[in-house]
Amino acid sequence: MRGQVSRRTIFAFIGPAVFGLAIVGIAPLLYAAWTSLHFFNLTKLKRVEFIGLENYWTVLTDEVFWQAMGRTFFLLGTALPLQLVLGLGIALVLHKPGLTILKTLARLGLVLPMATTYAVVGLLGQVMFNQKFGVVNQLLGGANINWIGDPTNAFAMIIFWDVWQWTPFVALVLLAGLTMVPGEVEEAARLETKSWWKVLRYVQLPFLLPGLVAVLILRTADTLKLFDMVFTLTRGGPGAATEFISLMIQRVGFRGFDQGLASAQAIILLIITIFLAQIYIRVFYKEV
Amino acid sequence: MRLGKLLCSAALASVMVTGATAVSYAWSLAEAAKPYAGTTVDVVFLLRPGYDAIEAMLPAFEAETGIKVNVIKHPYENALGEQVRDFVAGGDLDVALIDLVWIGNFAENDWILPIDKFTSNPDLVDPELDIDDFFPLVLNAFGGWNGTTYGLPVDNYSGLLFYNSCMLKDAGFDGPPETWTELKDVYGPALTKDGKYAFALQSKRNETQSADSFARVIWPFGGSFLDENFKSNLNSPESQAGLQFRQDLMKYMPDGIVAYDHSEVVNAFAQGDVAMITEWSAFYSGVMSPETSKVADCVEIAPEPKGPAGRKPALGGFSMSVAAQADENEQAAAWLFIQWATSKANSGEYLERGGVPARQSAYADPALAETYKFVPALVESWQDGVPEFRPRFAEWPEVTEIVQEWGTKIMLGEVTTEEGATEIGTRMEAVLDAAGYYSGDKPLAQ
Repeated sequence: MRGQVSRRTIFAFIGPAVFGLAIVGIAPLLYAAWTSLHFFNLTKLKRVEFIGLENYWTVLTDEVFWQAMGRTFFLLGTALPLQLVLGLGIALVLHKPGLTILKTLARLGLVLPMATTYAVVGLLGQVMFNQKFGVVNQLLGGANINWIGDPTNAFAMIIFWDVWQWTPFVALVLLAGLTMVPGEVEEAARLETKSWWKVLRYVQLPFLLPGLVAVLILRTADTLKLFDMVFTLTRGGPGAATEFISLMIQRVGFRGFDQGLASAQAIILLIITIFLAQIYIRVFYKEV
Repeated sequence: MRLGKLLCSAALASVMVTGATAVSYAWSLAEAAKPYAGTTVDVVFLLRPGYDAIEAMLPAFEAETGIKVNVIKHPYENALGEQVRDFVAGGDLDVALIDLVWIGNFAENDWILPIDKFTSNPDLVDPELDIDDFFPLVLNAFGGWNGTTYGLPVDNYSGLLFYNSCMLKDAGFDGPPETWTELKDVYGPALTKDGKYAFALQSKRNETQSADSFARVIWPFGGSFLDENFKSNLNSPESQAGLQFRQDLMKYMPDGIVAYDHSEVVNAFAQGDVAMITEWSAFYSGVMSPETSKVADCVEIAPEPKGPAGRKPALGGFSMSVAAQADENEQAAAWLFIQWATSKANSGEYLERGGVPARQSAYADPALAETYKFVPALVESWQDGVPEFRPRFAEWPEVTEIVQEWGTKIMLGEVTTEEGATEIGTRMEAVLDAAGYYSGDKPLAQ
């Protein structure tokens, strides 16, 4: 018995966490799954009825849903590489020896964009990218660029803000990975070669991979549920140019009040997210 | 014995008659509210001048009645969702604030009560209520659904043409355009120059796109959302003429007009960058104040221009109705509040404080036009509006999302007016079909 922990103790420690997770995570998920199988419109509650998989069929055959999904993955495919490249660059610079005070200040500065509320970023964007009075056009020499009202520019603006806000996160995670490299190994490698690329590829990258996988999973999940910033900045417009999948689900569920259809969309999104996370883990952890 | 009975009956009858008369003469808000003193009424207000006006007047109501009014403020865009969630969850709201297009939804869900319940109670009804004093169009459009009156109008607007008389004069015009075509073909080219624009039409992808932009151009050209069979009428020559007109007019508007909401067009007008806008009367105080407007001295107001089918101006605004979920005391207190806020007696002060009452008597004094330039145009517009300017049925929240998306795509040139109208029509009909309009389950009421 010595060294063994009783069942009661295990339940006492883990039970509250499991109970909390069940209340705030599992129960709403089950309710969403139940809702997705019903015609469930908040303004037509007298007509709630079981309709099987009809909501899922509607979602899967709705071209607007897939357009929003495509837009979301295009955002992920453009913003994430930029964040990785810029984040890695920042991490490598901060990893270099010397200039300790400046590096500490830089690390603190990196936290600021992440600490800014998404909705505030969107509101800032509205002001800064205003065609007539915005500081961005002023900085571009008084240019008359229509940022918010042009579909392409509006999308570019969203990419800019996403990169601005989340590159620091990538940088800090990768910096933590770089500090995991044993000093003597890195020093020996630098004596062997002058190529920074070889040091990065063969010495530092293996230590960065767990962090990279975490970044990929978290940023993918974050992009798939990106809502506040876009909602306050463009509200999905102009047209549907910035209507990402989360905005579409919110529109269907809370502006059209069709909770059944929105739940089906959310469940499908959840399945896609889990699937992607599995791929990331299998592909990248294999390399480790 | 018989004589005695007769005398007794006569005496009783006379007491009842005089008593009733005495009640009607003696009615006062303070007396009516006595049983409900201490009751709290929860009401939704918007972040707009018309609600600031009522809020400023509230202390007088609370002091006289002992009823506490708890104001919950929302931006317009959140107001529907917040109220729907409150009603679905059986929340605390006692007074519903109902946009023109929400009334069918609220009434069909039994979330609000017909005013008959209160107007039939002499203890609660103000003898001065005078329901006929409300502009009939406004009372019908904002407070009525399917022949029943649920709410009393508050913070009501008509679309008006705000124009910068100085810019028009400099361009050689003595007055505003009479027709939309004149605005585009004559005023447009003359006023669009040197970084200034003739016109700005708020068209952001939210209710603004549906109400202020899309609907505004189809009605004056003879179009409509639906025909008499509730099928899409958006591909009719008239609706198409209106939508094509909007495309043609865009060259006299600022770039990126699809990103302009009310605040952007009002600001552009107030800064002197745009010569004309069509906006709600509620924005009058903002453009007339030298603190917020560079052109306050130049602002003049006219009814919206006419189209081939007449003026058909935009109609917007709200009514307040008693929520069915409130308990009996709260319902009575809520009714007393609504009756007071929309009363004839208070309409003058409401107007002075920046609100727009829907009482005909409030505008009876011709001198008002000198103080409030929007009054003559507003009164004229309320004679010629369309109650179903936006259909008021319960399905509007779904339909408006479709209109917002495809209306914006039309403006951006991503689809033609015909393609966009076809998409909206197909999707709108699918919503109406699912709701049971085509199978005869629901009456064709809008």
